[in-house]
Amino acid sequence: MKKLLLFLLVALLFGACQKDELSTGQFRFVKPSHFPEPTYTFDINPVTKEGFELGKRIFGDPMLSRDNSVACNNCHVKAVAFADPQHALSLGVNERQGIRNAPGIANMAFMKEFMWDGGVYHLDFAPPNAIENPLEMDEKMANVVWKLNRNSTYPAQFRAAFPEMGDTITSPFVLLALSQYQTMLVSATSKYDYYKLGKGELSANEMEGLQLFKQKCAVCHSGELFTNQEYRNNGLDTEFADEGRARITESAADLGKFKVPSLRNVELTDPYMHDGRFNTLEEVLDHYAAGVKQSATLATELRQGDFLGIPLTASEKKLIVDFLKTLTDHEFIQDERF
Amino acid sequence: MKKFLFLSTLLFGVLFFSACKDEEETKDPGTLEVNFDNIAVINNVQQQLSLVTPGSTNYAYTNALGQKFNINLLRYYISAIELDGPNGEHYHDHMEATASGSKGYYLVDESIPASQLILLEDIPAGEYNKITFTVGVDSSGIVNGAAGGSLDPATCHMFWNWNSGYIAVKYEGQSDVSNGGVSGAETVTGDNPHGMAYHIGGWKDIPGGVFVYNNKRLSFTFDTVVKVESKEAPELHMVFDVIKMFGSHHNIDFTGNHNVHKPADGVEVAHNLEHAFDYDHIHQ
Ligand code: HEC
Ligand code: HEC
Repeated sequence: MKKLLLFLLVALLFGACQKDELSTGQFRFVKPSHFPEPTYTFDINPVTKEGFELGKRIFGDPMLSRDNSVACNNCHVKAVAFADPQHALSLGVNERQGIRNAPGIANMAFMKEFMWDGGVYHLDFAPPNAIENPLEMDEKMANVVWKLNRNSTYPAQFRAAFPEMGDTITSPFVLLALSQYQTMLVSATSKYDYYKLGKGELSANEMEGLQLFKQKCAVCHSGELFTNQEYRNNGLDTEFADEGRARITESAADLGKFKVPSLRNVELTDPYMHDGRFNTLEEVLDHYAAGVKQSATLATELRQGDFLGIPLTASEKKLIVDFLKTLTDHEFIQDERF
Repeated sequence: MKKFLFLSTLLFGVLFFSACKDEEETKDPGTLEVNFDNIAVINNVQQQLSLVTPGSTNYAYTNALGQKFNINLLRYYISAIELDGPNGEHYHDHMEATASGSKGYYLVDESIPASQLILLEDIPAGEYNKITFTVGVDSSGIVNGAAGGSLDPATCHMFWNWNSGYIAVKYEGQSDVSNGGVSGAETVTGDNPHGMAYHIGGWKDIPGGVFVYNNKRLSFTFDTVVKVESKEAPELHMVFDVIKMFGSHHNIDFTGNHNVHKPADGVEVAHNLEHAFDYDHIHQ
C-alpha cells in the first residue's frame, strides 16, 4: 500500500512538472489580456513546441534563398523587434535592393492583412513573398521543399511537428511551421503595457505624451496594437513611386496609401515609413507637423481647413517621442524562446 | 392514454411502412466522371488542342479579330461542383483545404490528360440534368491558410504571392501580332518578341468592395438526364473553347494588354469564360 501511494505521489509530481512546463504558456499562444482577439487561424494550426521550434529553425535558415545566403532573420532581426536594423530598402541575394523597408514582425497573430499594401491575406502566405521575390531570396518554394526533404534532419523534425504530414515535406507544412513561430512573437511587455495593466507607472512626461498621442495620432495608430489596420496616405509625397494600396485594390482612390503600421517597438524599428525615408522619430514628428504634402488621396485626418498635417509644438513633439519609447519591449527582444 | 396508444401505433405503422417502401426503391450512390475537353472550334468544327513548345511560330488558331496565335500552357481550376436533377436531386462535391491535402478543387491542365477527368463520388442515386461549378478558387481556399494537394502553392503554379490568391485561368503562348515583353510567366520569357500571358485571377468577392472578382460560377443544363447509381458509370463531357475565351462577349486584341497579371486587366477574358465553357454530351 505504501508503495502504491509512493508511486501515485511520484506519478502526480511528475505529471505536475510536465504540465507546468506547458502551462507557463511557453509554447502555446497566449493572448495578452488587453489585446484584441487574434486573427490567426489557431484552430487549424495550433502552436506546439515542435512546430514552433521547427518554424524558428526555418526562419533562421539561409537555405530558403537561391544561393543559401539570406535567411528571414537577415531582414527581420530579433534585436530590433524583427525589423531591419540597417537598410531603408531591404537587401536580398547578391545585395539586390528591394522596394520597401522591412517592418518588424511582432504581433502578427493579430493582423488582418500583411505587407505595406495589405496584399497578403493570411500570415501563412507571407513567406513566399520573400522566398520567391527576385530582389529578396530569389528562390522557388518547390526548390525550398526539395532542399528540406534532402536535408538529414529536417524530415524527422517535420514529422514530429506534423504527425498528419506523411513522409514527404510539402510546402503548406513549411508555411504552417513559419506561422507557428511568427504568431508566438507577441510583444506585450513594454513599459507602457505594465502601466496599462496597472503594474507599473509612466513618468509625468510620458503620461503627457500619451495624452497628446491619443489626441493627435490615435485616430490611425489606434488600440493596443497602435494601428487601425487601415490604409492611409499620410502625406509623404505628391507623386507615388510606389502605388501602395492601389496595387491591390486597383483603385486610383488608394494611390499612395499604405497600411498604418503598429508603433510597438518603434524606437527600435528605424528607419521609418514604407521606404525607410526617415531615420529618427524626430524626423517623423517634423513630417507630421510641417512636412505633410497635398495630394488627391491625402488622409482627411491630416487636413484641417487650410492646414495640412498635425499641429505640434516643439515640446509636444518631444513628449510624444518620450511616450513612443515606452512601447519598447526589452523582454520581447531578449526572450530566449525567440 | 388510449388515444396515445392509438396514435403511437399509427405512427409506428406509418414509420414501418415507409421504411419498407424506402428499402424497395433505394439505389446505392454512384459516380459521375466529368471530362473537361479543351478544344478550339474552327468553322463550327471542334478540334482538339495541340500545345506547342515556347517560342514556336506555328500558329494553329485565329481569334475573332483574325489574329493568329498558339498555346504553350493552358490550366484552370474547377471547384465547388454541384449537380441538380429535375426531381429535386442535389449533390455537392465535398470541399476541403488543409495542409494534408485539398478536396473539391481540381486543377485541369491541358498537358496532363489525367487532370481533365474529374471523378465525382458518392452521388445520391437519381437523375441529374444540371451541373454548376466555379472556375477558380474562392475564399474557402484562402482564408484558412496554407493548403496542400491541388492548392499547394509550391506546385500548383497558380498562386499570386503579392496579392495572395489563386489564378483561375492561366494561358501562355504567342501571337504574331503581339509585341512581347511578357513578365512573370512560366513558359514565355520577356525577350520573346511575340509572347503573351493571360493570368486571370481575383477572388475577393466583397459586396460593395473595390476588388475585381474574376472567378465565375457557371451552370449548364444537359439536353438529357444522366442516371446515377452504383450500377452505372456515366460520363459527362464538358468543353472549353479557347477561341471563345478570346472572343465572345469581348474580342481580345493581342496587340495590347497581352501581359495580364492582375485582376483588373483580366476582366474581359474572365467574362468570356461564360461562353468558353459549355456542356457537350453525356455517355450513360
Ligand atoms: C531581403 C529582406 C527580407 C527577407 C529575406 C524576408 N523579408 Fe519579410 N519583409 C521584407 C520586406 C521589405 C517586407 C515588406 C514588404 C512589402 O510591404 O511589400 C517584409 C514583410 C514581411 C511580413 C509582413 C509584415 C507586416 O507587418 O505586414 C512578414 C510576415 C514577413 N515579411 C515574414 C518573412 C518571412 C517568414 C521571411 C522568410 C521566409 C521573410 N520575411 C524574409 C523583407 C524581407
Ligand atoms: C491619417 C492617419 C495617421 C495619423 C493621424 C498618424 N499616422 Fe503615423 N502613419 C500613418 C501611415 C499610413 C503610416 C505609414 C506611411 C507610409 O509608410 O507610407 C504611418 C507611419 C508612422 C510612423 C513610422 C512607423 C514605421 O514603422 O515606419 C510613425 C513613427 C508614425 N506614423 C507616428 C505617428 C505619430 C506620432 C502620429 C501623431 C503625431 C501619427 N503617426 C499620426 C498614418 C497616420
